[in-house]
Amino acid sequence: MEIEVQEKEGYHIVTPVGELDVYTVPLFRKVVLKLEGDRRHDLILDLTRLTFIDSSGIGSLIEIYQKVQTVEGELAYVIDNPRILKVLRLVELNKVLRVFPNVGRALQDVGVTGGYVDEDFFSDLT
Amino acid sequence: MTKISSQTSPDSDRRLVVDLPCGKKSLSRARQKVVKFAADHGFGADAEDIALAVQEALKNIIQHACPANNNMHFECIAKSDQLIIDVTDSGSGFDTGALDADPVPPMALHGRGVQLIRGLMDNVWVTSDQEGTVVHMEKKRATG
Repeated sequence: MEIEVQEKEGYHIVTPVGELDVYTVPLFRKVVLKLEGDRRHDLILDLTRLTFIDSSGIGSLIEIYQKVQTVEGELAYVIDNPRILKVLRLVELNKVLRVFPNVGRALQDVGVTGGYVDEDFFSDLT
Repeated sequence: MTKISSQTSPDSDRRLVVDLPCGKKSLSRARQKVVKFAADHGFGADAEDIALAVQEALKNIIQHACPANNNMHFECIAKSDQLIIDVTDSGSGFDTGALDADPVPPMALHGRGVQLIRGLMDNVWVTSDQEGTVVHMEKKRATG
């Protein structure tokens, strides 16, 4: 796994590339939780370049969500992969996480509206 | 180095038997084998779902039941109407009643493996005793 980090409009945008599973989660957690520990920026997790996620990867997304919640930070998830969305829906995280279809929408809306869950996006999945 | 052995049964090519070292490095290779086997036997539309379910079952072995011989084992059987997979370990077993206890809280950090398996597959049974555990999974052939 590779992890790209950039700063934009006051947000850290973290983009993991490849598979987020029990094998790669330790690196992902280390990078993201260190960034969040800095508390210099709010966070956008751009998951559009993930090819696979398992239950360990899901657990890491929840852990990051909880960490950001405790410090009242902003956090958005960018996901456009139907398979990733399907897995999140199976564990009912689509009702919890603030998911956007691209980084532009996340930057535009997350701080203004508090984010949203695109129900239409999820409802098309089988 | 990860070593994975697999074989087909002598009477047909509809069975895949895989033995692999008990470790995280084996998961990606195992998943690839399941995806290929599923696709080769007409389950391509569900191949990724099936492979994720197998990974979750294997991950439980890694986390809870790596046996003394450090071996994980699973078998896939392609039938006309469904794909059947048994993931087997020789660990000390566990109380399967715990699987049907309270549902996983939405914000729990762990414990979603079986929840995912049940969501991805059509039928799932888990049997366990002092000699080990079998996760039996079935996926019906997609129609249309």
